[in-house]
Amino acid sequence: MNKAIKVTIVGAAALLVAAVGIAKSVPYWFAPKMDNPPTVNIHDPELIAKGEYYARVADCVACHTAPGGKPFAGGLGMQTPLGAIYSTNITPDPETGIGNYSYADFERAVRRGVRPDNVSLYPAMPSVSYMIAKDDEIEAMYAYFMSAVEPVRQDNQASTIPWPANMRWPLAWWQLIFAQPREFAEDPTLTAQQNHGAYLVEGLAHCGACHTPRGIGFQEKSLSNRDSEQFLAGSVLEGWYAKSLRNEGVGLAIWSEDEIVEFLRTGRTHHTAAFGSMSDVVEKSTQYFTDEDLQAIASFLKTLQPRSGYAVDWQPNDDTTTAKLRSGNITEPGEIIYIQECATCHRLDGKGAPRVFPALAGNSIVFAEDPSSLIQVTLAGAKMADTKYDMMAFTMPGFYHLSNQDLADVLNFIRTGWGNHGSTISTRDIARMRRVVDHAPEHYVPQAAIREGAHHE
Amino acid sequence: MNKGTVSIIAIAVVVVAAWMWNESRYYDAPATPALTVVDADGNAVGEYRPPLARDMLAEENADSIIYGMRLLNETARLLPDNVGNGLNCNSCHMAQGKRPLGAPYINTINDYPKFMGRPQAVLNIQERINGCFRRSMNGTPIDESSEEMQAMVDYMDWLRGDVEKGHRVDIKNMEYFKVAEYTPDPVRGEEIYVQQCAACHGANGEGMKDQFGDFIFPALWGDESFNLGAGMARMSRASPFVLHNMPIGVGLDAPLGQITLSKQDAVDVSAYFTVKPRPDFPDKIYDWPGVPKPADFRSH
Repeated sequence: MNKAIKVTIVGAAALLVAAVGIAKSVPYWFAPKMDNPPTVNIHDPELIAKGEYYARVADCVACHTAPGGKPFAGGLGMQTPLGAIYSTNITPDPETGIGNYSYADFERAVRRGVRPDNVSLYPAMPSVSYMIAKDDEIEAMYAYFMSAVEPVRQDNQASTIPWPANMRWPLAWWQLIFAQPREFAEDPTLTAQQNHGAYLVEGLAHCGACHTPRGIGFQEKSLSNRDSEQFLAGSVLEGWYAKSLRNEGVGLAIWSEDEIVEFLRTGRTHHTAAFGSMSDVVEKSTQYFTDEDLQAIASFLKTLQPRSGYAVDWQPNDDTTTAKLRSGNITEPGEIIYIQECATCHRLDGKGAPRVFPALAGNSIVFAEDPSSLIQVTLAGAKMADTKYDMMAFTMPGFYHLSNQDLADVLNFIRTGWGNHGSTISTRDIARMRRVVDHAPEHYVPQAAIREGAHHE
Repeated sequence: MNKGTVSIIAIAVVVVAAWMWNESRYYDAPATPALTVVDADGNAVGEYRPPLARDMLAEENADSIIYGMRLLNETARLLPDNVGNGLNCNSCHMAQGKRPLGAPYINTINDYPKFMGRPQAVLNIQERINGCFRRSMNGTPIDESSEEMQAMVDYMDWLRGDVEKGHRVDIKNMEYFKVAEYTPDPVRGEEIYVQQCAACHGANGEGMKDQFGDFIFPALWGDESFNLGAGMARMSRASPFVLHNMPIGVGLDAPLGQITLSKQDAVDVSAYFTVKPRPDFPDKIYDWPGVPKPADFRSH
């Protein structure tokens, strides 16, 4: 072995040791436990009630509960490119949950993403958003979790990410680079109501976790609208395309504030419905928001300017589809497949049935620039949010059994039907999403927890 | 290069190739499971898969098949002179007549002509279809030799695929069960109706209409619903229909997201809606001639 190789190997080893060493030290100086933590009266009923509301706003339950599992006991699988990770038990069980957390431990985990044992959490925990929440909100949440959440004894599930990728120390570097401390700054050009909306959207409601595109380090490209127009510009997570929420043609331009409020409160409007992850968000979180908070969010979202190069408005083309289908002039495979598989619910006029089956005509997820959600909902089906506002929560059945060619034909038909104008999708796109559906992560729910927790379904 | 280096490179090439092959595998739908085709004695003689929708366009009589499909879907709109209420054939025949247990058309062509108890006679397919026009659609028969009748028959014939006359696909059209063994509770039936039916069929069974005034969800009672002579007005027919087909859009399984209710639920809710006011069928007096009428015969 010559000298150059030796030097390279020794140098690389030294760098690695340094990288690990620095990473191990990061939690101590970059995100230390707070000095002089306040004393939180975790038995104060008023504080607990406030904490319950903030926990709803933060939607802790959605990720920290596995389907069929006990609330906040963790076990929900989340797919990453390297394997599945599982949410943790955040019930106040002292051994398997967070029962032994001091307030300072809790605050640090929520805001900085660091465990009491100085290990960094995966960025699936949206600490970069929670960071800006006010002290009194975090304190109230602590009181709620410690006093009002039922403790559940359930061990956390190890990730399926293989060694060495499952080592946690690189996460400290991630936090050093992407999770710098920040505070909410009001935008003087916005109204007080809109600033309140921005505070919720950027913070506890952490809309950007799904709706803001992520960079190469899995970091949200922007944490606030002041930083860049990438904020809430649409992103794909686990094969669901969380659409652009900016006030642009492919975003919320065709949505009124009232529709946004209605959608967040009930999971549907007269022509569309939440599905996939958003259905969960509505069911577990936004349906409980106060009117004031919902109005503020809607008002803020409508202030988000279109990205440069994106159309401000969305105008449908003339609808020639309804007349063609009603007159029986059926010539294309996409049309006949639509009639046989879709039209019973979505109808020849593409308008569905109000609050029962969503319209496809003029539905922004149908012609979204990224067809992932449209394809996934068609392949795997989905369920609407079950809220107190509607008697029934409807489903879309999955059409996994249809061939890629059939699905591409029928989806291209609806993406361009009734005046819609969306880009063409290919059989490759369908195959790609079929792969996502095939590899959906399994959730971790101990059998005993399923039996006991069944009533939470 | 020594042998060691060569083997390491060879192994690396194999691993990378395997990985790339796995990544590029073309994901497509699994093969459609086949239904069994049986002969008159019940012996398996072949397999059946519903024909692909897209293949309809290539059929020699595609125009007629498509017209038939449309007539079955949009009967009230396309044949207003013959449909007396707002219903369509496919209000009851689920998923384009392709769903076992949902009154499918899959075996219809091969099953007729057939002896039926209600008229105590052998009916051909045209007569059977006209039975629906007179009862379920509370209207008047269409001309048996009309283009419309031929079109509906052609659609059903297309759906039959290559199953020969004398054979049938081994499915049930409905899961008939002994409804009399269940004590109907219409009060509980009303609760089920409110919770699981009214969102679509309306608080007063009036159904839901689209912008053109055509039913999205059919009326279950009242002037625009089926009459007393329809099978759906009878407990023995309504209960098994509801059992496997209603509500739609609540499960994740294609075609329509239907679930299976309990038989008691199906009986209770059927006991609630079947007895609601609906059009009379004066010719009911000619049903079951010369034989005892069934227990759920609707005289009123």
